[in-house]
Amino acid sequence: MNAIVESEALTRDLQESKARLEEAQRIAHLGYWVWDLKTDRVIWSDETYRIFGLSPQEGPIDLARVRELIHPEDRDAVFRTAEEAVLNGTRPDSEHRVVRPSGEVRIVHSQGDVKRDASGQPYQMFGTVQDITERKSAEETLRRTQAHFREGQRLAHMGSWTSDGSSCSWSDELFEIYGFDPRNGVPTTEQFLAIHHPQDRASVADALKMMHEQNRGCDVTTRIVRSGGELRHIRCVGIPVVEQGEFKGFRGVGMDVTEHELLTRELRREQAYLNEAQSLAHIGSWATNFATGQIHHNSDETIRLHGFDPRQWPIPLERFYSTIHPEDEPAVRATLENAVRTRTDYDIHEYRICRPDGTIRFLRSFGHHDPSQEIGEYVGITMDITDRKRAEEEREKLRRLEADLAHINRVNMMGELAAALAHELKQPIAASITSANACLRWLAHDPPDLERARAAAARMERDGNRAADVINSLRSFYKTGSSAERQSIDVNEIAQEMIALLRTEAARHNITIRAELAGDLPSILADRVQLQQVLMNLMLNAIEAMQEAGGEMMIRSGATSEGQLIISISDTGVGLPAESADRIFDPFHTTKPQGTGMGLAVTRSIVEAYGGRVWASANHGHGATFHFTLPREVEGHR
Amino acid sequence: MAIERTSTLLAVLDDDESMQHALRDLIESTGLAALCFGSAEQFLNSQARYEASCLIVDIRMPGMSGLELQAKLSSERSLMPTIFMTGRGDVPMAVHAMKAGAIDFLTKPIDDAQLINSVQKALQQDRANRRETIEREAFVARYNTLTPREREVLALLVRGLLNKQAAFELGIAEYTVQVHRAHIMRKIEADSFAALVRLTTKFLPETSELLVTRNAPRHESLQRR
Repeated sequence: MNAIVESEALTRDLQESKARLEEAQRIAHLGYWVWDLKTDRVIWSDETYRIFGLSPQEGPIDLARVRELIHPEDRDAVFRTAEEAVLNGTRPDSEHRVVRPSGEVRIVHSQGDVKRDASGQPYQMFGTVQDITERKSAEETLRRTQAHFREGQRLAHMGSWTSDGSSCSWSDELFEIYGFDPRNGVPTTEQFLAIHHPQDRASVADALKMMHEQNRGCDVTTRIVRSGGELRHIRCVGIPVVEQGEFKGFRGVGMDVTEHELLTRELRREQAYLNEAQSLAHIGSWATNFATGQIHHNSDETIRLHGFDPRQWPIPLERFYSTIHPEDEPAVRATLENAVRTRTDYDIHEYRICRPDGTIRFLRSFGHHDPSQEIGEYVGITMDITDRKRAEEEREKLRRLEADLAHINRVNMMGELAAALAHELKQPIAASITSANACLRWLAHDPPDLERARAAAARMERDGNRAADVINSLRSFYKTGSSAERQSIDVNEIAQEMIALLRTEAARHNITIRAELAGDLPSILADRVQLQQVLMNLMLNAIEAMQEAGGEMMIRSGATSEGQLIISISDTGVGLPAESADRIFDPFHTTKPQGTGMGLAVTRSIVEAYGGRVWASANHGHGATFHFTLPREVEGHR
Repeated sequence: MAIERTSTLLAVLDDDESMQHALRDLIESTGLAALCFGSAEQFLNSQARYEASCLIVDIRMPGMSGLELQAKLSSERSLMPTIFMTGRGDVPMAVHAMKAGAIDFLTKPIDDAQLINSVQKALQQDRANRRETIEREAFVARYNTLTPREREVLALLVRGLLNKQAAFELGIAEYTVQVHRAHIMRKIEADSFAALVRLTTKFLPETSELLVTRNAPRHESLQRR
């Protein structure tokens, strides 16, 4: 009974043990196999069946079947391994693929052991087979992940390192970054310092010392010099690893930040240039929300313009408002409020501020609002126009001075002309007196010859008027600011008047005046006196050029192909000064001992005021020709 | 103001047309006739250049000036009396004009009495000139009837040589000189020997000088002998 009981218990134990083994095999995906070398019979455990994709009840397996289930590419290798094991007594051990009847491919790890009888003859091979597909896949994934990690480090120019205090390990990319060969292992501290830029070695050494003495992390950017002399910027970050309150070492990364660093420097340089430019131009930039009063950006120059210190950032908007001159503040505020309300740009051309030091400056402010942004958001510039305003005032002063000088010049010119004009005036008066004498004589005849007396009186009247005309034209030269007096003018007529006026003066210097005036020129709208002045200046100039040797002055009028009037005055005189031909129209430039240097400058300013052009050219033979053009549709430019 | 009514023609030169008319009218009011010109060139191209009795000319004109015209006329042995006018008092120019033989130098505006006075002076001068011209022409005509030998004799006598000396000079007899002298007196129609000498030196001053020059070497050799 006991035996039975024992046997039953034993059987039960055995069965339980077998079941546990089965369970263990199943969990571990590990099966066993037995190969009878004499009969070639194969016995598989249930799990082995499952690994091969068969059900455990399928019945006995033969070698041919096993061969069939192994992946065709691995078959020969597997059996060769087994045969070698039998022959040489080695342990067969191989990883190979199996193809399940369903077509699914699994990877298995197979190991065996050859059993020998007392005579040493092998009679059986026992082995295990384990399905390692999942492990393999995990390994592959890990391998790939590591590859990705390496690739990522390489792409990011970032390498990692760990240190446990005594030893240190580097990632491949870190070797790459520092330019060390991984085969030589992690460099020593000396090697590590040596690769750094001489100027950075001390700070690297300091950082290392601090890390080791104080167990504190680091974040330093230093320069290294690669073997080729190439300079790279490396940022090294390390953090202490502390587990359960205990310091374990450091973990960190090294990054090649050269591009980033260069870009940052470039940016800083750009910023510096921009600051410099703003400072030079006295233009400050800013970004502000006028509705909320929040200032997003103020360039240093903006702050300086208002007399503040750029280091005082931030400065509230109200402080900027407070600098505005009390007389200008209402207008400035009104403009800003209106712009904010209507969501439009604004441009305050001129307003005054009182800087904290008491100086008054003139500013101009321009703000741009992007309607897609929040209300009150403006970016803009503020510029200091004080110097410009002062310069404008100076210019205005100079312009007035020039006008005065032009007036003086005209007066001087009249002085030079006085003799000529006196003659011009004397002629009709003399004629008139002679006619009066003749008239008296005709009246004294017996009987009086009234007809002849009347004719003489008529001549007196004509000559008297002629004298009055000369005086009138004389007076018009003394007037200034007569630019408004525009009338329809025949240029030829003015040319002829001037020729008549200057003929005597010219004759005095043995100069003849000839004219070739085009017949059908359109009349233009201009100030008669100013045109007279232009012609007279150029003609006097020609006379002066010929006054030593005499010569011929030729006045031509005509129309250009663009329909402009063109008038040329040629002389046979000394010609243009070679070294200053392009400056002769400049104010105060003169080649004549008595010249004011204003004649041609005034001429040019008048012609240009009418939209015309004046220039000089050298003649083929002797002398020079001065030309000026006048647009046919002359309108007020002044 | 009585001015001899003749066909006398005055030439007025002034570049100002009003002045021309006024002057012509003034001249016409005194009963004289005037022709007006705007420039010296215009005048020189006209018949008036030969016919005018008096020239009234503005000293400054475009082209040839009054002084230049005066110089040109004088170089052509024209004796036309000239009155200058000027717009401005120009003393050096006036002196120059007067030295060159101007009748007067008037400043504009012209004093009519002064002008008429000057015109009268000019016309007198012109008449004198014309008389002299007539005399000269008559003398030259008579002189031209002389034989070459008579001219030689005349030249020596005008120089003040005695008959005897002239005969020696020419290598002829004194008597022959006397005969020549009588012929010369008759042909020239001289009242006296003194008149003969006066007319010859006045109208032909160069004749005797030329002779003297030509005979000078002979004369010198004679003296040495």
